[in-house]
Amino acid sequence: MPLDTSTYNLALLRVDGRRWNDLRRLHGQIRTQAAADGSSYLEMGNTKVMCVVTGPSESARRGGAGGGAGGPAASSSSSTATTPNGAEIAVTIVTGGFSTVDRKKRSRTDKRVQELQAGVAKALAGALHAHLYPRSTIAVSLHVLSQDGSLLACLVNASTLALVDAGVPMTDYLVACTAGSTSGHGAGDEGADPLLDLNGQEEQELPFLTLGTLGATDRVALLVCESRVQVGRLEGMMAVAADGCGHIRAALDRIVRDKGAQMVREGAIAKGESIGMDLD
Amino acid sequence: MPITILPPSVAQEPTRSLYQDGSQSDSDSDGGVDLDGDVSMGRPTKRARRDEAIVTPGEVITEDPQWMRGHGTYTIPEPPQIISSVAGTLSKTNKLLSVRPLRARYTPEIGDLVVGRIVEVQARRWRVDVGAALLAQLPLSAINLPGGIQRRRTETDELQIRTFFSEGELLVAEVQQLYNDGAAVLHTRSLKYGKLRNGVFMAVTGTGGGGGVVRARRQAFTLDISSSGAEGGEKIDVILGVNGYIWISKHIEGEGAAAESSGPGITRIEESVGLNVYSSQNDSIPLDTMREIARTRGVITALVENGLRVDEEMVTKGYQEAVEMARGEGEGDDSLWLGGEKGKRLADALVGR
Amino acid sequence: MPREAEPSLNEKAFFLQALQDGHRLDGRKFEQFRQLDLQFGDQYGVADVTLGKTRVLAKVSAEVTVPYPDRPFDGIFTITTELSPMASPAFEVNRPTEQEVLLSRLLEKTVRRSNALDTESLCLIAGQKVWSIRVDLHVLSHDGNLMDASCLAVVAALRHFRKPDTSMEGETLTIYTPAEREPVPLSWLHTPLCITFSFYGDEGEMTLVDTTLLEEQLKVSSCTISLNKHGEICQVAKLGGTPVDAVSLVQCASIALQKVKELSTLLDQKLAEDSKRRNKGGLLAELSAENAR
Repeated sequence: MPLDTSTYNLALLRVDGRRWNDLRRLHGQIRTQAAADGSSYLEMGNTKVMCVVTGPSESARRGGAGGGAGGPAASSSSSTATTPNGAEIAVTIVTGGFSTVDRKKRSRTDKRVQELQAGVAKALAGALHAHLYPRSTIAVSLHVLSQDGSLLACLVNASTLALVDAGVPMTDYLVACTAGSTSGHGAGDEGADPLLDLNGQEEQELPFLTLGTLGATDRVALLVCESRVQVGRLEGMMAVAADGCGHIRAALDRIVRDKGAQMVREGAIAKGESIGMDLD
Repeated sequence: MPITILPPSVAQEPTRSLYQDGSQSDSDSDGGVDLDGDVSMGRPTKRARRDEAIVTPGEVITEDPQWMRGHGTYTIPEPPQIISSVAGTLSKTNKLLSVRPLRARYTPEIGDLVVGRIVEVQARRWRVDVGAALLAQLPLSAINLPGGIQRRRTETDELQIRTFFSEGELLVAEVQQLYNDGAAVLHTRSLKYGKLRNGVFMAVTGTGGGGGVVRARRQAFTLDISSSGAEGGEKIDVILGVNGYIWISKHIEGEGAAAESSGPGITRIEESVGLNVYSSQNDSIPLDTMREIARTRGVITALVENGLRVDEEMVTKGYQEAVEMARGEGEGDDSLWLGGEKGKRLADALVGR
Repeated sequence: MPREAEPSLNEKAFFLQALQDGHRLDGRKFEQFRQLDLQFGDQYGVADVTLGKTRVLAKVSAEVTVPYPDRPFDGIFTITTELSPMASPAFEVNRPTEQEVLLSRLLEKTVRRSNALDTESLCLIAGQKVWSIRVDLHVLSHDGNLMDASCLAVVAALRHFRKPDTSMEGETLTIYTPAEREPVPLSWLHTPLCITFSFYGDEGEMTLVDTTLLEEQLKVSSCTISLNKHGEICQVAKLGGTPVDAVSLVQCASIALQKVKELSTLLDQKLAEDSKRRNKGGLLAELSAENAR
């Protein structure tokens, strides 16, 4: 416990030299896989995730006895979220054995992984306009290459990027970010500061939550907290995380815009028409 | 595009200063990364767009109530706004605003020429993968019977449905009708359409942006390959399915997709529809033709890799260019490799840069 | 996989209209629980929670085993959940549904990860012998709000449980039968309980607690908050669904605190009643090993 908190109080600097409100370096790419409908690669600090989106395509699972060998296998390892009269969103998370310091084999049926899958799938179901694609499946496959904190947030952000690349309509970017608090769960510490975007070491030691919002708004699509923290501190942490989400949204938007601008420049897509002026 | 390894230079780091209270704000200003390029918070509203700008999900396109929303947008009632739901370029048709996504799956439209693959045979119809969100249908009643006979489909036809098309076979067809959920119904009731053989299949991105096949006046055409030194008279057919599926095959006089444009009149077609239209057997193909089919395939791959559109003009020009390049480099006609740097040169030559 | 029948469209419309006007179908207030009943079995460590028509049973058992090699000083503590077809046709045996996975993760995070049970106190001989405490949770009847009922049942059963007393003399470990020495309670650090909020309306602007099955099927999103009566959050989970305003989530947290305080009081009171019932004539005090001799 003392490692982070003790130094933080002296210099107001965190273990990796950031201040309380600094995001880690965020780097992303879209369209990394030519064969996929949509793909992305996202680094948030040292947490690195790849995402591949397939679909929307006709649901493999059919009512009745038709389910072949592929059907049940796919459904048991992925978590799905269905929308009424809309596409099914199936999320699979594969964690590389090399993604953490201690090489650990984590099976796909691990409950923790299943919970992550369910969280991502349900959050995406709330953001995507899945009702436009009845009877189809949007398969989101996430590959964790390296873990250093804020894993759930990174997974959510990477899948958002890949879905934007796949051209699946959505209400707004679904972005997520973590926030922590410098004190433990003890009641007394009033001077605890909120921290933005925790790395793996900080996650081990400090209470934190993951917050996902729809765009840069206060509308919370995802909120996961797994550590003990005073109830009064919740609001501060959520505020900081929501603010971080706004900045991550801007960063993701920049990635998409850069790619779009590049495509327009290269003539791959026709220029957009500007609105206004010739209205009347 | 593969992942590029970045140099270790520090990319622009989104920092934030959210509460402007005493100690925090001055510690922010002295050491923190100062960002002038940081994007403003909240929904990015209408801003002066440069020509190459795109709209992204959640971006407000307009608050003017006189516009109507089209594909790729949604509205909220309060305040009345049209908001983009995909990343792409804006397009206007009269008062209709829509956003063309940078890339998306193929969305069928009536009249599209598509190349598809049979994935399932049902009682009186086939289910065809055309790269769309849902499988397309091809009813038994929407195909030509061998010999060009016009009659009702009987139970006998239903029983031998697999003799026409069976699983895994490729066909070229036209979208005849759309269901409410966006699924397409195909037909092959023309000599241009039907089963495909004697060639290769390739899939690129279809209409929906990001290069790939675009809707054009003519999706199927014949390529003259005599310039490459192949034996005279041989030609190859190219079918650019609007859905991004492409078929390149040996040209057979009076048959195949390009027949209608160059071929004989309607009466002769009736007679010439032989019994072999549903044959799955390849004819013998001269080596030269095979080579040129492979070269055409390379050209299209290079076009797609370099983000260029795929249509008749580009493929024809690209093909000529590729023949020239192969000849110019003295590697002989057999050099077909058009990947990487070479493909880039080809693309550059085509767009004149 | 058989699915739960979904409510019909006009039933849904009726329900939502009623909510808009401030009514729930069973006449409860938005923040009111159903009739809650908690009963302990004759044995130690059996708790039976009835919440309206939802009924869950938790049974705690203990045995001595070898600890995990990477944690030689910690006892083993597992919670298993069983959602059998008895409770709802949508549940299947040996094939955990997503709901079951999420339920067991919730209990895991609420009770285990928050250190409600001091696992170090379960150690008998470091690296060789520890207590393994196992909680089996059975859902007997499913009418909504399994999360809250299950959490209460597990916590109540654990607090009610008594494990056999032990003693160490030199190298010899003795485990006493209940006849020899009165069993001792587990070393319990705090009492986490969870409250689930369900949101309704396009913007998730209406909030209900303790939803029935029908209400649960119609929710647009939900949020489960676990905390103890001291106001320490152990776990928050809002996994997707319609986005909800951050302010209303903060409000939920304070409502949850108040509810948890009520539930803890009830739990304490029930435990006290039960021990009074068992302790006829003050025999317990005499049998206890902690007696001054």
